Amino acid sequence: MNRIMPLLAALFLGLFIFSTTFFTLDQRKYAVVFQFSEAVRVIKDPGFHFKIPLLQEVRYFDKRIQTIDEEAPARIQTIEKMNVKADSFIKYQIVDVEKYYKAVGVDEKKAVDRLRNTVNNMLRDEFGKRTVQDVISGQRDEVMNLVRKVADADAARIGVQVLDVRIKRVELEDSTLNSVYERMQSERKAVASQLRAEGSAAAEKIKADADKQREVILADAYNQAQQMKGEGDAKAAAIYAESYGKNPEFYAFYKSLDAYKQSFAKKSDVMVIDPSADFFKYMKNPRAGSGK
Amino acid sequence: MSQNDPQWGGGRNKGNNGGPPDLEDIFRSITDKFNRLVGGKGSPSNPSSMNGNGGSTGALVIAAGLFVLWVGSGVYVVDERENAVITRFGKYTKTVENAGLNWHLPYPIESREIVNVTELRSLEVGVRGAAAAGDESTMLTGDQNIIEVQLEVQYNLNSARDFLFNNRLTDKDGRDVVKQAAETAIREVVGKNKVDYVLNEGRGKIGEDTKEMIQELLTKYQTGISVSRVNISDVQPPEQVQAAFSDAVKARQDRARLINEGTAYANDVVPKASGMAARLNEEALGYRQQVVARAEGDASRFRQIAAEYAKAPQVTRDRMYLDTMQTVYQNTTKVMVDQKANGNLLYLPLDKLMQMNAQGESPAPAPAVKAAVEAPAPQPNETPAARNDRGQRDGR
Repeated sequence: MNRIMPLLAALFLGLFIFSTTFFTLDQRKYAVVFQFSEAVRVIKDPGFHFKIPLLQEVRYFDKRIQTIDEEAPARIQTIEKMNVKADSFIKYQIVDVEKYYKAVGVDEKKAVDRLRNTVNNMLRDEFGKRTVQDVISGQRDEVMNLVRKVADADAARIGVQVLDVRIKRVELEDSTLNSVYERMQSERKAVASQLRAEGSAAAEKIKADADKQREVILADAYNQAQQMKGEGDAKAAAIYAESYGKNPEFYAFYKSLDAYKQSFAKKSDVMVIDPSADFFKYMKNPRAGSGK
Repeated sequence: MSQNDPQWGGGRNKGNNGGPPDLEDIFRSITDKFNRLVGGKGSPSNPSSMNGNGGSTGALVIAAGLFVLWVGSGVYVVDERENAVITRFGKYTKTVENAGLNWHLPYPIESREIVNVTELRSLEVGVRGAAAAGDESTMLTGDQNIIEVQLEVQYNLNSARDFLFNNRLTDKDGRDVVKQAAETAIREVVGKNKVDYVLNEGRGKIGEDTKEMIQELLTKYQTGISVSRVNISDVQPPEQVQAAFSDAVKARQDRARLINEGTAYANDVVPKASGMAARLNEEALGYRQQVVARAEGDASRFRQIAAEYAKAPQVTRDRMYLDTMQTVYQNTTKVMVDQKANGNLLYLPLDKLMQMNAQGESPAPAPAVKAAVEAPAPQPNETPAARNDRGQRDGR
């Protein structure tokens, strides 16, 4: 036991000295070693490091990419004097710890505010030169890049690199919103009536075409039918002429008789007859024929 | 004092490159070093414990137990879906991808962070009516219309190292950074397109573009996140204009309907006309044949009778004449008037005669009339005369 106690004491003492002499640096951090508040060493390599106990003090800074995400969108005016609400975020990273510490200290809020202000001012400037249209679609990238570049140049003074500035949302104000809705409605109405009109027009065209086709088909059919009938009539006429032509006089007689028969075929036909007609010659005189 | 580092890890590193099989090696070297440190005097540890200097034996057993526990704290399990990132004194050393039981140098030398890599995480962007910042789903299109888009982003990690070390995240899944990227990406993509495209045919394309852009941003920030899928779950015009939009959709349907109706009309009219044309054609054909056939029949009849007539013209002529007259008189109502004998005005009640004839068509009087007319020549005076008389009487 007598040997153990001093051993343990030595062990703890050794551990204490060890812990004040060495420190580990996380992969995610930078370390700055201060000696009497003077930054004597900047450590960027993570791992196991040495410092002079009691004299030196280590402060850590985040090495990772950090985000400034605006909580409330900023009201910005575009060139048309239209107010839009723009929501953006900034990605930044500390690259020069010494500079950063000198400019900002340990409170990163200062750095955040500074970046935020720069970016907001830049956005205001750039939006002010552009229309809503440009900001939303046409020159969105351009605006973001410009703002990033300026912000980056400014941030370099505090040892920070601005990786990206993104415009998350660009929104119209409520008052403008209503007129946009109204415009959208009217646009839709226009589209709707155009579609309907197109529909009627197309339908009318189809119908008219069908009617035309019908007329053409029927007329063609009539034409053919008449031709055919004509052929029939002509042939019939030829046949009649050929056969009747042999004895026209008899044909006249024959046809007349036929016609009489056909013409006076009903009881309702009333004939007023003169008994002196040739037909009745025997009625008056049975011997009339011989006199002839 | 970075030279310190290799001092500690140097011997081990040389042997450790092979990985797990060298565990024993590491163990031994660590034990040696530890003992040298603790023992101070550099006495070989194992033999000393065997020697057992009286009361120190118990303490050594405790120390050994503690030592084993300490060494055991380096054992960890990696799931199939996980990766373990090992840091030595805070410095990244390796990523363990092999699933199963693993060991690293115990605290405070090495430490592990286990990250689920393959798990598909998902988040929604554009929750409607989100309390914080108004309507999160509304966005402006390129033609300055407003639409509401909701999307779901699914992602996993492709680098545990990048994920852990490169970005300051507010939660362990990195939802924040994905959400920021997704919001800016979808708005940028929507802002570049027109409202009709976004609403209708462009949906799939917009999903793809958005995915690409989110991935681009996440890669740029070296987040170690890989986007596996972006679903555009809903695209709608805002409520305020929905009626107008749906009316436009209806109008599109109406257009189709009108066109269909027109086509239906055409499909009805044209075949009907063809049918009618076929009918006309058939009728004409029929007429042609009929006319010719009749002509041939008539001609044939005439030829035959003409041939007979040529043989005995007078008789045939008379016979035909009389036959015909007989038929004619038989079938008609006759009124015989001797104009020479009676030059006065003659009144014939024609309407009455007609009526009588109409009745005469009924069976009863028919035979009588017929009988009367049957033989006009033999008894010519009877019926016509009577009628004539009556007619004259009525006329007076």
